[in-house]
Amino acid sequence: MSDSELAYGSSLTVDSIKVIAESVGIANLGDDAAKELADDVSFRLKIIVQDAMKFMHHAKRQKLSITDIDNGLKIKNMECQYGFIQPDSLPFRFASGGGRELHFVEEKEIDLSEILSTPPPKIPLDVSVRAHWLSVDGVQPAVPENPPPLSKEAQKLESVDPITKLSKPSNKDSAGKPVCGKAARLKASESVHVKQLATHELSVEQQLYYKEITEACVGSDEARRAEALQSLACDPGLHEMLPRMCTFISEGVKVNVVQNNLALLIYLMRMVKALLDNQSLYLEKYLHELIPSVSTCIVSRQLCLRPEMDNHWALRDFAARLMAQICKTFNTSTNNLQTRVTRLFAKALQCPSQTNNETGNGPSMVTTMKESEKTPLASLYGAVQGLAELGPEVVKVFILPRVRWLGERVEGALSGIGGADRLAAGNLKHQLLKVLAPVVRQLRQPPDVPDDYKRDYGYLGPSLQQMVIKLRTTPAAGGGGGAVAVVSCTPPLVPHAPPAPSPSPSPAPSSAPSKVAESVARNVVISAPSTPPPQKFVIVSQQKTPQAQVSSSGHIVHTSQPTIVRSQNVQSVVVTSGPPGGAGAGGGGAGGGAPPQKLVVVGVPPQGSASAALPSLSQAPVSVMAKPVFVRAGQPSQPPPELDDLSHLA
Amino acid sequence: MAEKSTPLLAVLQLLRKYNLKGTEEILRKEASLGDVEYETLNLPEVEIASILTAHHTESDPYSYEFAYESLKKFIESSLDVYKYELSTLLYPVFVHMYLLLIIYDHNEHAAKFLEKFGPEQEDYYQDDLAKLCIVKHKDQIKFNELAQIYSTNKFEVQLSRDVSSQLKRFLQEQKSSTVIINIINNHIQIDVHDGPGRNQAQVRATAGGLLGEATRNENRAKVYYGLLKEPEIEVFPVPAEDEEEAEETPDKPKKKKAKKENMYMKKPKSDPNAPPIDRIPLPELKETDKIEKVKALRAKRVPLGPDCLPSICFYTLLNSGHSAICADICDDSTLLAVGFSNSIIKVWTLTPVRLRGMKSADKLQDIDKEAGDVLVRMMEERDRDTCRTLYGHSGPVYKVGFDLFKTMLLSCSEDSTIRLWSLHVWTCLVVYRGHTWPVWDVKWSPHGHYFASCGHDRSARLWATDSYQSLRLFTGHFSDVDCVQFHPNSNYIATGSSDRTVRMWDCLTGSQVRVMSGHKSTVFTLAFSVCGRWLVSGGTVGDILVWDISNGSLTAALPPSHTGPIHALAFSRNGTILSSGSLDCTIKLWDFTQITEETVNDETGSTTSVPKDEKYLLRSFATKNSPIKSLHFTRRNLLLGVGTYEGSS
Repeated sequence: MSDSELAYGSSLTVDSIKVIAESVGIANLGDDAAKELADDVSFRLKIIVQDAMKFMHHAKRQKLSITDIDNGLKIKNMECQYGFIQPDSLPFRFASGGGRELHFVEEKEIDLSEILSTPPPKIPLDVSVRAHWLSVDGVQPAVPENPPPLSKEAQKLESVDPITKLSKPSNKDSAGKPVCGKAARLKASESVHVKQLATHELSVEQQLYYKEITEACVGSDEARRAEALQSLACDPGLHEMLPRMCTFISEGVKVNVVQNNLALLIYLMRMVKALLDNQSLYLEKYLHELIPSVSTCIVSRQLCLRPEMDNHWALRDFAARLMAQICKTFNTSTNNLQTRVTRLFAKALQCPSQTNNETGNGPSMVTTMKESEKTPLASLYGAVQGLAELGPEVVKVFILPRVRWLGERVEGALSGIGGADRLAAGNLKHQLLKVLAPVVRQLRQPPDVPDDYKRDYGYLGPSLQQMVIKLRTTPAAGGGGGAVAVVSCTPPLVPHAPPAPSPSPSPAPSSAPSKVAESVARNVVISAPSTPPPQKFVIVSQQKTPQAQVSSSGHIVHTSQPTIVRSQNVQSVVVTSGPPGGAGAGGGGAGGGAPPQKLVVVGVPPQGSASAALPSLSQAPVSVMAKPVFVRAGQPSQPPPELDDLSHLA
Repeated sequence: MAEKSTPLLAVLQLLRKYNLKGTEEILRKEASLGDVEYETLNLPEVEIASILTAHHTESDPYSYEFAYESLKKFIESSLDVYKYELSTLLYPVFVHMYLLLIIYDHNEHAAKFLEKFGPEQEDYYQDDLAKLCIVKHKDQIKFNELAQIYSTNKFEVQLSRDVSSQLKRFLQEQKSSTVIINIINNHIQIDVHDGPGRNQAQVRATAGGLLGEATRNENRAKVYYGLLKEPEIEVFPVPAEDEEEAEETPDKPKKKKAKKENMYMKKPKSDPNAPPIDRIPLPELKETDKIEKVKALRAKRVPLGPDCLPSICFYTLLNSGHSAICADICDDSTLLAVGFSNSIIKVWTLTPVRLRGMKSADKLQDIDKEAGDVLVRMMEERDRDTCRTLYGHSGPVYKVGFDLFKTMLLSCSEDSTIRLWSLHVWTCLVVYRGHTWPVWDVKWSPHGHYFASCGHDRSARLWATDSYQSLRLFTGHFSDVDCVQFHPNSNYIATGSSDRTVRMWDCLTGSQVRVMSGHKSTVFTLAFSVCGRWLVSGGTVGDILVWDISNGSLTAALPPSHTGPIHALAFSRNGTILSSGSLDCTIKLWDFTQITEETVNDETGSTTSVPKDEKYLLRSFATKNSPIKSLHFTRRNLLLGVGTYEGSS
């Protein structure tokens, strides 16, 4: 009602008329004349707009456009306004001064020569028709072409205020669900068992889907997994099974961290990634399950059976990136997510004497932490990586002050004995250098004196200084992959190196891997080895006896799969054969059961993730460095590295 | 003299209008009006009315407010039985008081009057008031469409006999001011009906027309709403195909036979409401058309109902922005035509069959005309287009429509023309000129040959494809005629208009047979039920009304679940499901059987029952930001929708 009241009186003001008069050269328009004009002009404008509305309606639009006004003028036998075709609505600007207030449209001067010199704009795409099923026998399929059954806002509302769901009379409007049958029954029970309503009921199809997806995600078939992850990342109708998915992930992480089953942890993290990527899901209310799982995968002391050779570093990197993504997406002033996550990582770096029970929210970690007074190097690595993903500012505040202590730890480990520790220390060192160098470069002025560095940063000082100098000498970071990257990104790859001659002569691997290694014939084919960015590897491996293994701890059982060739746009090709070993962990590495065999191919996506500069830099050289690794890995004497398809992690 | 002579001239004109020669003579003599003024007797109706009223009312601005208040008080204090009918008087009285105030130059008072009483008018009149309030000066009345309509036409109000006698008593008591009496005499048509006064819901159901309710007298004419007898077609011209099918599924012939019986048992008996088959001349069916018809009859139809909902296939137009305006799918669901705001029409094929043009003339000569497949042979084999574009219009194309046999396409446009296109040679065949302003809608007759159009010039027209000029001109709407629809028996057309009424016209006589008021907003789309008895109309604010055209009454107002203008309505082929598509990006399915059944049962009671429950709505489907432009049921009862994707914003 207030709107219409407003409309009754609206008209152009005398001031506007005067300003318009001035703009066309009439210096002093009388008040009466202006009033008269204002009334008349508003009357005519309103008539034109009314007619234009008709054209808008008949063009089946709900937004008035300039062509509607033109057509409205036309039916009044008036000349159209030429040259006002504008794709967007014109923003009004406001200015005041000299006691007058003005609304005006900003018109910029256009340089004709500039227009002439610029290449012509792209031709707009032609109109095309696309068909999809909006409804099949009265039920709307949850395909990407259809809107999500429950909008993100509704999911949010539901998570904030569960009462809304109860008070809603029926959901047939929003979801297009049959009122009859189950929903009706549910409705009938509403009044009595209020609590039941909070649970999501899954239809048989959804249960089937859940089973299929979870099996595929942690199963052995890489092609199926890709499909499943694709489905998780795109399908709009998943919100109903989201609680189960999240529980699946968190439980899976708990179990497999204890079992040290790297492969499954990677698969689970990839599921998290897919869920995060799904535009139609509102994950906030499940963060309490996801964040502990992800942070476990970052800082857990041990994630794999053989820390000396398995690439758990890649998992830590990947999970750290996930954590950064979660922080970026869900951080609000009320949940302070980023602060809490930062604090969590920072505590891990805190002080040698402190045990960091707080570090892992995941209960799985707590027990493992107690035995060692010191935070394990792997956890330190994870914490550093986790902080690094949160941005350079975080690095400056939380890592840089502790670099001296970290250096001591690294120094101690490198000089000590124990291959695993040395390897971890090496990794940590590389990681620290990589993370710190850009920050230090910004902080310090050019004369980089090694002694200053030594003084300020302790053990790591000299290496850091070299790194900074290297950074300074190379063109600005925008220059791309080049030399910087080669140096800076070795760390993630080092895990591949264990089979290669490492400082410690024999890191006392468990007997099983080497046994298997002898019996395995493998071919490593590297195609197009010399062209750096888009590289492909084809790796074929075979295993002697495919065997199914039943895990005692109750995670999913994999059966052997035929050889699968997968080709993705991620530009990696993996050929695997033999029983994938995800379940092998159950049997433990020491026993006679052949340890799982897996191959990892690191593919190079054409573009790095744009999120952080460092990770994106690191990608190009990965393949460069990977080459020798695989060549070496091909030597029969070396135990096969437990590998995974890490291409998605890149 | 000049000041004084204008009223005299008005009186003179009035006398002439009623052909009162004697009085006119005397008046002229007495007032000594020469013949010079005699020529200038062309005062507009508005002014005559205002001048004549002026002499009664003294044009005291304060009396209006007082009079309106007293009318309001009278209505409020009257019995509940009378209250709601009487309240329909308030709006017209209010409007005319405002206009009178403007006419007498009491502009400030008019504004105040509007501000004071405007907001308390019915909500569905607020849009009109917003338009009316633009008028702030008496010179502006003649430029304002709405003010013009109000001052030149009478507002219809329906009152029961008791109520009207109450009103008369009240008016007689009003000695002090004659304002209301004058307004009621001059501008309001009171239609007295027998029977009890109506309650609020009943009044509200039919109120809302630009000029009040439709009177019952106007809906007395008999309408033959039954379906025509289907012409006898040889049902077995393609026995080969029949056998094939029979082999495939042995139980089918029985079923088909039953269905055929169904069709041919019912039709020859022909319901008593059907018009005679030769009431209007219908085109002879060509051999090819017959084959097509048989195909249509044979299609295996899914028996839809509330328990068996249709599947919906949705065609999304990508990259069209806001340029795609209208769409149509041909009867056998193989072609899709879309009209664009940049004057072009595009036709897509929805099946693997490509769009082919006809061969050139000299190549056509080589074809053996006796060959059985001559129709196939004359098409160019090399054409393999999936989309063809038709150029010709010079303004936005507001409607496209395939004829029954998908050989021709009709389109209408802002350039005030209607064009007929051939889908064999892919060019324009005829340009029909006649409308003077943009043509909003054009529809084929269900039997072909005829088509109807309507437009901004407030008229609807009936055309035949073989004539350049329109056969019938239907005038009577007070504002734009926004949509038109043929009755399934081709004898009537229905029109919906911005004056918020739906009217039905007889194609034979050209006369108006039904006026139906009740919409609260512009009517944008119409659909006749398959049985021919019901008419469904959809409006700007998402309102859908169902009318019984046997008596012109409102059958049901569907619960307001659409939030945007409705631009598409379609009945399933068996008439049980009504689908509606709106710019709010949803398609809704309604249980039409229940809607009609319930009201037929109710018929003994009040004629206009407005059900409030939501049980009519079967299901609602949202699209992904794609407003629905068109809906179409295939012969097998699959629902096809067409919409444009408008980006993720």
